[in-house]
Amino acid sequence: METSTQDPWQPTAAPEVAALAERPLPIRFTGSGSEYFRIWIVNLLLSIVTLSLYRPWAKVRRLRYFYANTLVDGHAFDFHGNPWKMLRGYVLVGLMLIAYSAAGRFSATAALVAVAILAVLWPALLRASMQFRLGNTSWRGLRFRFTGSLAGAYACMLPMFIPAFAMAMLRFEIVDPQHPTMTYIKHIYLVMFASALVAPLMWWLFKRYQHDHYSLGQWQTRLTIGAGRMYGLSLRVFGVFLLSLIVVLIVVAIVAGAAGALAAVNGHAPSLAANKPLWMVLIVVGVLAMYFLMLIVPVPYAMSRSQNLIWSSTRCDELRFDSKLPFGALLGLTLKNWLLMIVTLGLYWPFAAVAFYRLRIEALTPQLSGDLDRLQAQAAARVTDASGDAAGDLFGIDIGL
Amino acid sequence: MTQAASDSAPDAPAPGGVAADYFDGRHAKAHAVRVHVEADQLAIAGDGVHYSVPLAGLRWPERTRHGVRILQLPDGASLHCRDSLAWDTWSAAAAGRRDSLVVRVQQRWKWVWISTLVLVCLIGVSYKHLLPWAARAVVAVTPESADVAVGDAALSQIDDAGVMLPTTLSAARQEAVRTAFAQAVARLPSDVPKYRLEFRKSTIGPNAFALPGGAIVLTDDLYERVDGDKDILTGVLGHELGHLRHRHGMRMLVQAGVLSAAAGAVYGDFSTLFAQIPVLLGQASYSRDAEHEADVDAVRLMRANGISPAVMARFFEKIRQPRPGEKTDGTGPGPQMPIAIASHPADADRIRFFEQAAQER
Repeated sequence: METSTQDPWQPTAAPEVAALAERPLPIRFTGSGSEYFRIWIVNLLLSIVTLSLYRPWAKVRRLRYFYANTLVDGHAFDFHGNPWKMLRGYVLVGLMLIAYSAAGRFSATAALVAVAILAVLWPALLRASMQFRLGNTSWRGLRFRFTGSLAGAYACMLPMFIPAFAMAMLRFEIVDPQHPTMTYIKHIYLVMFASALVAPLMWWLFKRYQHDHYSLGQWQTRLTIGAGRMYGLSLRVFGVFLLSLIVVLIVVAIVAGAAGALAAVNGHAPSLAANKPLWMVLIVVGVLAMYFLMLIVPVPYAMSRSQNLIWSSTRCDELRFDSKLPFGALLGLTLKNWLLMIVTLGLYWPFAAVAFYRLRIEALTPQLSGDLDRLQAQAAARVTDASGDAAGDLFGIDIGL
Repeated sequence: MTQAASDSAPDAPAPGGVAADYFDGRHAKAHAVRVHVEADQLAIAGDGVHYSVPLAGLRWPERTRHGVRILQLPDGASLHCRDSLAWDTWSAAAAGRRDSLVVRVQQRWKWVWISTLVLVCLIGVSYKHLLPWAARAVVAVTPESADVAVGDAALSQIDDAGVMLPTTLSAARQEAVRTAFAQAVARLPSDVPKYRLEFRKSTIGPNAFALPGGAIVLTDDLYERVDGDKDILTGVLGHELGHLRHRHGMRMLVQAGVLSAAAGAVYGDFSTLFAQIPVLLGQASYSRDAEHEADVDAVRLMRANGISPAVMARFFEKIRQPRPGEKTDGTGPGPQMPIAIASHPADADRIRFFEQAAQER
């Protein structure tokens, strides 16, 4: 960051440049980890003391800090959400989530009903979440909008539930749960294989729904790639995952071999079975470690490549995006964050969050070919229900940045 | 403090003012303006803008070290100031902006460290006392039918997954265990939970466990390891009966639910995997406490039947030894887990507990 001679406060070029010549609108993040730590720790304390009812205020403070420090062409974002309204939505969605997770404890039928209800509500909730977040975000005094329709949300998301539905239907094939028939097993594999085959298509449908409907003033984005590019990306991600898996399996084989040799030398008899919870804990820790090793490389890879592919293919008539998020830097940062998170028992999180956000957001450069001063609000921004925001929060939905 | 000064010169322009960008909320064009306070109004002027709003009711942006100050005006317009220091000084002096308590705490390292300390203590106390207490309270008002529903669902899942197979113990032996245990329990003065014995052949070694709602599952493997020893079985089943009496299963569900919700809220954004770590540690520690409570109950039942708790030491012996002819699979006993992770107290600690109980009688 020190090598950059660019002053983040100043716009880069004079506005008199011919309308069609592109000029970059560089993004700078000016926040600091230590300041976010101070905000985070106080937010956390208040959230615990109030049994999490403070969360909406904490979220507004966090977003306003990140937004006020995200400068696009020298101008910051602002967040307009009202914490009181967000609290209402938060409580509502919280109750729904408790009911949902409780349902699974009591009976399989209740769980199935809960999944069905969620499937029906999910697309509407997701759309509400996008509308809320964008409708309450502004740049240069103009509010963003999410213009996707409700029908569009259902059209792109309901197909995602087909595999789960097919699996549920297949259960009726089983007569004796102890001895599932070969046809049943074949059908399960068939459904799984088919789901994997259409997953990139689903992903593309979803991303297209999002990136076709971001709007600011008269600008309206669209996603310019077809599903084929998503298949290419998915294949590469899958390849990286397979490589990691092979490496992990080799490591596991070596460790198991070494442990076996050690036990043989010491002549110990296996008594772990006698201490069943210890045995269970060992298994859980082992599985977590394997899971970690398996994902530590593919996740940053997928993140950098998909951000680059999707945002570089997002454009309006007068604006397009360049995303150059390097995989190596993201992997290095991920490893560093994990290490410091563990060493500091989680207190490093605000620093990790700031570093991560900075790397991802600064990798993005909007390229403007129109005139910013002609940008103006279209219709009066409709304020949307804040329960969408809480839903987005609880189910981990975001705009991918 | 400045009362006298402003009273003496009411018509003089407020000192300084501040430079800002004005956006009208309908166009993206920035207007370079200067902002002053005039009487009870905020006056905005420059670049074709001449505009004023009442000071009362303005939501001032909070003070931070970094970041642009944005003042949202009532009609959707806004003022943006990049010189945050000038803005903060001016708005405090001229417009009477005051930092909220939260902002003052956030901007002073001393208070931040105190908050951190309070937070760590609070988490420790919640972990150790508050959450177990709350779980106990929640479970106390939960109807028993919920335990039964949860336990039945769990048992049928275990059976369906093929972890447990139907028992191969003869009906006569099963009956003997049932009768002996019923007689032992009948000698307890009070506080006997509803229970029923279930026999299963286990695919994961010798085991006994209690499920919410009253099912106590005893595996063939465990029965054979202790050669059907009545005293030992009374201790083992008494331990499981203790889990039922304290409704440990339900309490663990509540505790795990709250723990993972809290950990997910704080660390879910970083990694759901990382958020699992505190849940795992917390559950292990709660499980250790629950095992100890159940051991106390086992001793209670054994004493009521005149059995020395020392037989439990024999139980640990028997369960440790591999049966003759059993293949060693090379996994070894493994290093002793540090106490924070092991969910059962170390066997040695439990043996010591039972031996001490045997001496105290």
